[in-house]
Amino acid sequence: MTNEITLTIDGREVKAQPGQMVLQAAMDAGIYVPYLCYYPGMKPYGACRMCVVEVENQRGTPASCTLPVAQGMVIKTQTPDVVQLRRGFMDLLLSEHPHGCLTCHRIDLCGPQDICQRHVSVNDRCVICPKNERCELKDTARHLQMDLNSPLTYNYRGLQVEARDPFYDRDYNLCIACVRCVRVCEEIRGDSAITVVERSGTVLVGTSQGTSLLESGCEFCGACVDVCPTGALVERDYKWEKAVAKVNSICPNCPVGCQMTMEVNKRGRLIRAVPDLHGPSNQGQGCFKGKFGLDFVNHRSRIKRPLVRRNGSLEDASWDDALDIVVGNLQRYKGGPFALIASPRGTNEDNYVAQKFARVVMASNNVDISSNIRPELVTPLGEMLGYAAGTNQIWELESSGCVMVVSSNATEEHNVAAVPIKKALKRGLKLIVIDPREVELTRHADIWLRPRPGSEATLIGGILRTIVDEGLDDSAFVAKHCQNVDELKRSLMSFDPLLVERETGLSISQIREAARVFCQQGPSAILYALDTLNSDDRTRTVQALVNLALITGNIGKPSAGLFPLIPGANEQGSKDVGSVHGLLPGYMPVADAVARAKFEEAWGSQIPREEGISLKDMSRAILEGRIKALYITGDSPNFANGETGDYLDALKSLEFLVVSDNFENELTALAHVVLPTATFAEKDGTYTNMERRVQLLRKVLEPMNQEISEWQVFSLLAQRMGAAGFRYSGASEVMSEIASLVSAYGGISHQRLEAGGIQWPCPDSRHPGTSDLYTEGFKDGKVALVPLAFVESAKQIDGEYPFLLATGRVLHQPDREMEVIRGDGLNMVRRSQIVEIHPEDATTLGIRDGGWVDLVSSSKRIRAQASVSGAHRGVVSVTYLFGELAASLDAASEPDPMLKVPGLPLVPVRLEKSSP
Amino acid sequence: MSYSSQALREQARKALHLQSHRTVTVLSSLLAVQDELGYVPTEAIEEVASFTDSTINDVWGVASFYTNFRFAAPGLHNLEVCWGPTCHLLGAPRILQEAQHSLGLSGEGETEDKRFTLRYNTCLGACSQGPVINIDHRLIGQVTVERIRRILTELNGSPRS
Repeated sequence: MTNEITLTIDGREVKAQPGQMVLQAAMDAGIYVPYLCYYPGMKPYGACRMCVVEVENQRGTPASCTLPVAQGMVIKTQTPDVVQLRRGFMDLLLSEHPHGCLTCHRIDLCGPQDICQRHVSVNDRCVICPKNERCELKDTARHLQMDLNSPLTYNYRGLQVEARDPFYDRDYNLCIACVRCVRVCEEIRGDSAITVVERSGTVLVGTSQGTSLLESGCEFCGACVDVCPTGALVERDYKWEKAVAKVNSICPNCPVGCQMTMEVNKRGRLIRAVPDLHGPSNQGQGCFKGKFGLDFVNHRSRIKRPLVRRNGSLEDASWDDALDIVVGNLQRYKGGPFALIASPRGTNEDNYVAQKFARVVMASNNVDISSNIRPELVTPLGEMLGYAAGTNQIWELESSGCVMVVSSNATEEHNVAAVPIKKALKRGLKLIVIDPREVELTRHADIWLRPRPGSEATLIGGILRTIVDEGLDDSAFVAKHCQNVDELKRSLMSFDPLLVERETGLSISQIREAARVFCQQGPSAILYALDTLNSDDRTRTVQALVNLALITGNIGKPSAGLFPLIPGANEQGSKDVGSVHGLLPGYMPVADAVARAKFEEAWGSQIPREEGISLKDMSRAILEGRIKALYITGDSPNFANGETGDYLDALKSLEFLVVSDNFENELTALAHVVLPTATFAEKDGTYTNMERRVQLLRKVLEPMNQEISEWQVFSLLAQRMGAAGFRYSGASEVMSEIASLVSAYGGISHQRLEAGGIQWPCPDSRHPGTSDLYTEGFKDGKVALVPLAFVESAKQIDGEYPFLLATGRVLHQPDREMEVIRGDGLNMVRRSQIVEIHPEDATTLGIRDGGWVDLVSSSKRIRAQASVSGAHRGVVSVTYLFGELAASLDAASEPDPMLKVPGLPLVPVRLEKSSP
Repeated sequence: MSYSSQALREQARKALHLQSHRTVTVLSSLLAVQDELGYVPTEAIEEVASFTDSTINDVWGVASFYTNFRFAAPGLHNLEVCWGPTCHLLGAPRILQEAQHSLGLSGEGETEDKRFTLRYNTCLGACSQGPVINIDHRLIGQVTVERIRRILTELNGSPRS
């Protein structure tokens, strides 16, 4: 850098960037200055004064965390005055903080500190602090070599520990008011669920009027816990446990791919997951699912050994027996009625070997991923642009000018992907949310377009029409990279503003405003999950969104692009390695003879030429007898919640079903053979996240019982069935085979990934990976825009369930009254539900404002109070609080509750007048 | 939602919208509400949060910082007893004791019937007249135990003019 600044710290010349603070410059140079309130990635605060330094020719002792570097500055960090001052500050902190752990005269005798019986008072014992040996305050006090004599008195605040909120305990007796937690909640998470209350001597961290976190708008991401330097904030589960090992791995709960440091105790349990500050996809952030949803690996009810159905009931069996039975049965279905459903929690290696097994050994292309319930999210990207994957990096959103979020509850389902957006709002990012439901992001939106459900594609069409009409498009980009422009423009003629208004129920001025913001505030990015749309609407909407990104030139540059929010954690990678019915690894069409020949040569076996049956069609194929044997690998909620249709019914008519899973569930109840499988924590391998980043999954725990990885199971099965090419020495060898066959993975190996994730395409071992796609243009030269058809959505105002219920979930609704039930154990939220109904519908049904109605769906009945304020005829909406979800997740008895977090679908209902 | 809470919201909202300052902040909004209602109820915290586009916790952070914001409805009469050093030496503890005794309070706060609010004051600025009390913005000096008892008895019978 040209304008580097040189300063001297403790006699050493140090280079720093302009705008850096002295503390950062010192740390970069490896000079330790003690600090408590500073935290990487957050604005300096200057509260603890621990980092004071002396500056030559300057009066006083400024805090180095708030002191900007200047050319020629001479800093001294260890003068006797400064050290004395720091000790004084520490004295003050310790005057209100229990510190038996520092003054106990047995520390040296104790070594690894064990329970002491008689040396220190109960309140004061080091083992009474949950952060014992992880405490930054203790480390800092030791660094300062304080002259601490036992006993030292302190003012114990005597506050009750707040232990009734979900997931974490708050003990403000241990708080040193560094305000890291409040700052991370406000600055990085954008929630402000906690605040600094009162003043001077009584200042502490708390919530508005001391309410529970359920009421204060907390999303239970645990960021406050991660930054707390003392024992004030800790995770409740395994609170007192000490880690003996820490392993970096990837969270298996969504495709953001958060890198976490997994902590293991001496009994081999996974006790904590701490988001890694160096994780490229999460930058130190996590969410309720990742932070508090990994305990399932420790669960007692894990399937321990293979189970085989004998005389109608499942019985324990050895691996040998179980595999023999599987092999014996599968032999009969070779080359025909067999299908394999892989898990989105499976690694790339698992799913590569799985599809190879299906194609080579079973001679069947009937392979899919169980999370592949919305394939339309990415297929149009592949067809139009070249790669069926998200185009950019998540954290680039921090410097976007505008972000459009279309029908996605990102805060719950891809939590950390929403963090850079919320963070960037403070510096002026414009947020457009298109969603019929009220979700967490709508509160932050500059423009919230709430279209009638099903009219999303029409709305995007209306936005495109405005862009064309007002000449807002990036004509240079379009001329260079797009074709079919006239066809698209002509098709937009049918998106007449009046028709668009009528169809979406939004005013055209709102739509135009959104179009202008999107075009003028760029770079603009689009995130979409489309979980409220049906599959036809999804394809049209995604095509419209790709058009939108293209004609505004928001592709092929940083901080722009398209982010499909796919459901499964490793869905991207599973598709990359060919766990799809119609595509071989690397998205090579099965029908393409050249592609097939390449794999036939590599695998030394014939591959069937017909496309297989996809997940969506499998249940029908099973009922029709086209599939008679099915192999399902574990961890999928979609079979139970109906998102994949009535699978469970269909499965009953199978002749042979193998399920490998972690827990007994609806699927294992039907299976003929059940195999235990290793969880993400017990295997090596790789996940590919939604930004195409291939990241290393490391073995955190030794398998509890007899679980082995999926790829090993398939390799054993293949060998027993006499197939060659299934002998691998380890997961890394599987990755080498993937790299040799899939050009995008060409330069990727476990060895390289040790240094950090790589975003594909990475064709060779020197290639650094590709953060943004299409910066060099497109594969086939020009991209063909897809003309859009104006489709009038079917208006169903009759039938048994004439209304659509749009359920939303937000962190906080200040204008609605709620009550927190403080039971013996956990707090629960209770409040009356309010349903918004369009005035005309209310009149027709004779429902008045404040009257009671029952919402009846095919499976449920909800009683609610009517608010005659709905925006669309035929649509009613109810908004839940996130707190209700958090409380019930925490109280759930299921081993893996985070896997089944209820989504927010649109449900057909009818309304019935009722009374309270 | 109870009627009174709805009414409080309306009043708070009105006060928030009537602010004439060029820059509207959380602090100015809280002051506007307190001027209108005499205190800052929970509903108003929520209204201020929506009005200033912040969260209730942000608003509470500001509100709890200033000791002059009140979060409970004030009594009909406001009694402040000075307990500054001069008044203390001139007998304020006895006055305070009597006030608390007649009002049935053990510290600062509102009486059960909401007729009185008792607050301590560090100095009412009339040290030569100590002990001093301030009742409904009327300063009374050289208070004796009998006098405060009489004043409170009188006020107890008559609503504030």
